[in-house]
Amino acid sequence: MKSFFKALLNIFRKPVTVKYPSEKTFLPDDYRGLIGFNEDLCIWCRRCEMVCPPGAIVFSQDLEGKQTYHFSRAVCIYCGECVRACPKEGAIFQSNEPANFAVKESDINNNWNRLFDEALESRIAYAAEKKRRAAEKVVAAKKEEESKTVT
Amino acid sequence: MGKQYEIPLGAQHISLLEPLHFKFTTENERIVDTQANLFYVHRGIEAACCSKFKFRQVSFVVGRVCGLCSISHSTAYSQVAEKLVKIEIPRRAKYLRMLVIEMDRIHSHLLCLSHVAENSGYEALFMKTMQYREFVMELLEAVCGNRIQYDFSIVGGVTRDLKPMVAEIILKRLKIFLPQLDELMDIYKNNWTLSLKNKNAGAITRADAMRLNVVGPFARAAGLAVDVRNETEDLLPWKEVGFEMITETGGDAYARNILRLRELYISKRIIENIIHGLPESPLVTETKAFPDGEAVARIEAPRGELFYYAKGNKTQVLERLKIKAPTFSNVAAMVEALNGNEYGSAPAIIASFDPCLSCTAR
Repeated sequence: MKSFFKALLNIFRKPVTVKYPSEKTFLPDDYRGLIGFNEDLCIWCRRCEMVCPPGAIVFSQDLEGKQTYHFSRAVCIYCGECVRACPKEGAIFQSNEPANFAVKESDINNNWNRLFDEALESRIAYAAEKKRRAAEKVVAAKKEEESKTVT
Repeated sequence: MGKQYEIPLGAQHISLLEPLHFKFTTENERIVDTQANLFYVHRGIEAACCSKFKFRQVSFVVGRVCGLCSISHSTAYSQVAEKLVKIEIPRRAKYLRMLVIEMDRIHSHLLCLSHVAENSGYEALFMKTMQYREFVMELLEAVCGNRIQYDFSIVGGVTRDLKPMVAEIILKRLKIFLPQLDELMDIYKNNWTLSLKNKNAGAITRADAMRLNVVGPFARAAGLAVDVRNETEDLLPWKEVGFEMITETGGDAYARNILRLRELYISKRIIENIIHGLPESPLVTETKAFPDGEAVARIEAPRGELFYYAKGNKTQVLERLKIKAPTFSNVAAMVEALNGNEYGSAPAIIASFDPCLSCTAR
């Protein structure tokens, strides 16, 4: 009987549910949101890439040696391990902004695997280029020495 | 003797939340024989942990084994890995791990209770229990930063510290939770409609529980005092923070409900004790050692004993990782306990076992 009156009273009470998209839900200050990157502070040690469990961070390298940072928010699990591993404070950080829903085709893990492979290939290409240049330098130095000894 | 019918339940069923398939042989609506069929959701996580991921990353992978006992899995793995690399974690990290495990237990137990209520046909109580559960989800989000996959426990310690402000909120919110828990206790204990479906349903005797090696609340409700928190003291100091063993004698769904609710009082006390006596120390022990040798670790997940075995060979990648989930131990007894009950009460009984198939099949 007691529960019956309680049930009747519940008709006039405010609902507990939150109208989610229009009303904001509870979000703590240090919520684990998107990973941010500050290029000016980065020392390009690639430690974040090494520790990332799902492989959501990758650095690509062009033939001149300049590195570029790539991050996939669809692959990321927001564990914050990259932030903990970073030796330079503030170079990589975790904001409290939640990741968007993947509604566009570009937001889904469509191009990430290809990008990841391309980035690794670009690094191999840079290493080969570096080796070739070093070899060229050695050859040039040898030639110079030879020409000196001849004269 | 009437005619016997075979009735399947699952693998996808309205009232059964887990992909578990039962085949009941019934006679006059009464179950005489049960067959269970598991492993519908095998994901190959163990193989991935031993091939693709480095041993430091595995604690994040095994955290994704189960959505409800995520912290138990990552803590158990962290303990195994710490044994392999031979380090002792700081005292504060131990206390913070226990804090999150106990908060996880509150939400897991309340979820199970709400499903028992729902499958017994009591939707209003389902909603009420879920409403009271919400506060602990928000607190876990405030402590760990995430709502479901906490990523809190890592090899060597924990990832983040407990802020004084968050600790205050937890204590304040637990004070509001206490009368709500009393109210739930009153409903689950005295409600007549619920007792029709729960009393003497899915009963198992103490001798059977011991013979079939049952773990967790299932065993404790049958009067068997098995709890990893009571047995191991070296990894996490449970007795220091006020752990107390609770047992019930009924062994039926009603006894399991009451046991879960009574355990919540203990969890609440443990959380308060931890926050009041949190020791000061760093959060992580750093090491550069590689895993070597074999080790096992046990931990009391909300559903029972969780067992981890790992083997390392001085490389970054583990050689073997074995996870034994609590439900795996309980399946044999689940089949036993269903026999002799009415077919109509089977969903409520299955929910009261709290099976977690995503842990079991990995």
